[in-house]
Amino acid sequence: MTALAPNRSLRDKYAIVGTGVSRLGKVPGVGAPSLIEEAIYHALDDAGLKTSDVDGLLVRGPDDIYTFHQVIGQRLGIDAAFSTTLANGGASQILSVILGVMAIDAGLASVVVCGYGRDAWSRTHANKEVQMRGATRAAEMESGEFGPEFGLFGAAAMHAFGARRHMFEFGTTREQFGAITLAFREYANRNPAAQMGHKRLTMEDYLAARMIVEPFCLLDCSLRSDAAGAVIVTSTERARDLRRKPVLIKGFATHNNISGWFEGDNMIRTAAGPSSGRAYAMAGLGPQDIDCAQIYDCFTSMVLTQLEDYGFCEKGAGGAFVSSGALKLDGELPTNTSGGQLSEAHAEGMLQVVEGARQLQGIYHPERQVPGAETCIVSGHGGNTVCHSTLILGSAT
Amino acid sequence: MSGYLKPLPVPSPETEPFWRAAHAHHLSLPKCGDCAMVRFPPSGHCPACGGTAHEWVDLSGAGKVFSFVVYHRLYHKGWEGELPYVVAVIELAEGPRILSTLTGIAPGDVVCDMAVQVLFDDVTQDVSLPKFAPA
Repeated sequence: MTALAPNRSLRDKYAIVGTGVSRLGKVPGVGAPSLIEEAIYHALDDAGLKTSDVDGLLVRGPDDIYTFHQVIGQRLGIDAAFSTTLANGGASQILSVILGVMAIDAGLASVVVCGYGRDAWSRTHANKEVQMRGATRAAEMESGEFGPEFGLFGAAAMHAFGARRHMFEFGTTREQFGAITLAFREYANRNPAAQMGHKRLTMEDYLAARMIVEPFCLLDCSLRSDAAGAVIVTSTERARDLRRKPVLIKGFATHNNISGWFEGDNMIRTAAGPSSGRAYAMAGLGPQDIDCAQIYDCFTSMVLTQLEDYGFCEKGAGGAFVSSGALKLDGELPTNTSGGQLSEAHAEGMLQVVEGARQLQGIYHPERQVPGAETCIVSGHGGNTVCHSTLILGSAT
Repeated sequence: MSGYLKPLPVPSPETEPFWRAAHAHHLSLPKCGDCAMVRFPPSGHCPACGGTAHEWVDLSGAGKVFSFVVYHRLYHKGWEGELPYVVAVIELAEGPRILSTLTGIAPGDVVCDMAVQVLFDDVTQDVSLPKFAPA
């Protein structure tokens, strides 16, 4: 692969100027498109913009809704100069911000809405019938080969392979995974909107939780949520006329280990490494310059692995790093300050883009605000475990 | 064999030789005619050298457990009464890693890098699954 030179002239040229979040958690009878509508209107209000200002729409929802951007465009009553729905799973949401910046830079859009919405809780819990089917229905619909016939179902197992190999190579422990769960839960306990905000957890609770796909127990797994988030991206120049102080986009990149999760070291040295390397290069920053992080937490072990790949500690030292208290508000790297997908709500990384921007706007009460935060790194991960995207945000001076 | 409740593999035209060989109790994959790399999944071009010449070759069936998970939650009714069960990524001696399951060992005794050997489970009259047991 040719060495790449991320374009540093893009640094600080584009910004997030509005953020919005729908009702989170258990929102029966609403559906993903309505939830994302909610988030988009909140984000537009936050920015002081109207739907008629929007000419780019990069939105995604449940994968079974075809051309989701069209569904949302119809609801917003807009045509778009630039719109699509991405297919990189949990890495899509940061990728939509990246693509938005690239579209604006190419002169193909000026105000881009990036968003994601899902109704995963309602789809599995909304009524008794759905609840009874929920446990096994999805698996029984899976077909193919080299997977289901051997009993491989669900995303937990794919990530658990990586967790197991990490434990084997580096001596990582379940207690260290548990430290991640507990750190994020503490933030959720301070976030009134969080799905698990009212439930406190101890390490004893973590270790007593029922096993799902070993080495993961229930508390290693992210939530099923009804949830949506949205951000508005435009040029920093345009942002000066808008309501909010802009949050600068300092760097971004992606990397996708599409040769496969089982190839080489991909499951313990993930695509987060090269992705963050190029994002740091664009931003002119390194891990030592980052004040807080929002790390894609589909499963606890992925947080640990990404923190290593992002350079916050050596490869293999992630367990010690997360156990040191580093992720807490007074720690070295406050991480997933809303509670993350493990404890706030799961919107495939979109809420973490929102949270990163809001931390840099400094809008929170001191018990949730990272004091003096000027930089935040946000990660996106997914697409059957191999896709990654990185966004580095900075506060405007 | 009626009453088999687990899913059966749904072969593609490219993987059909794999399942035909498995039915005859051989573990078989395409080997590049140019660089000799054994590849999985099957593809028209060798992912290492781009060559198109290849032949299906029988492998030793030896390998090791690269990683594994233990299912404690039932995802599919076909495994009812069989929890906990192991799903493993097997690194074959010839190089490729494939997904399978382990038999003949308690889930708690499995460790990464342990040596395993293929065996074939005739789950229906037409389908045999390559599974692995401690070597």
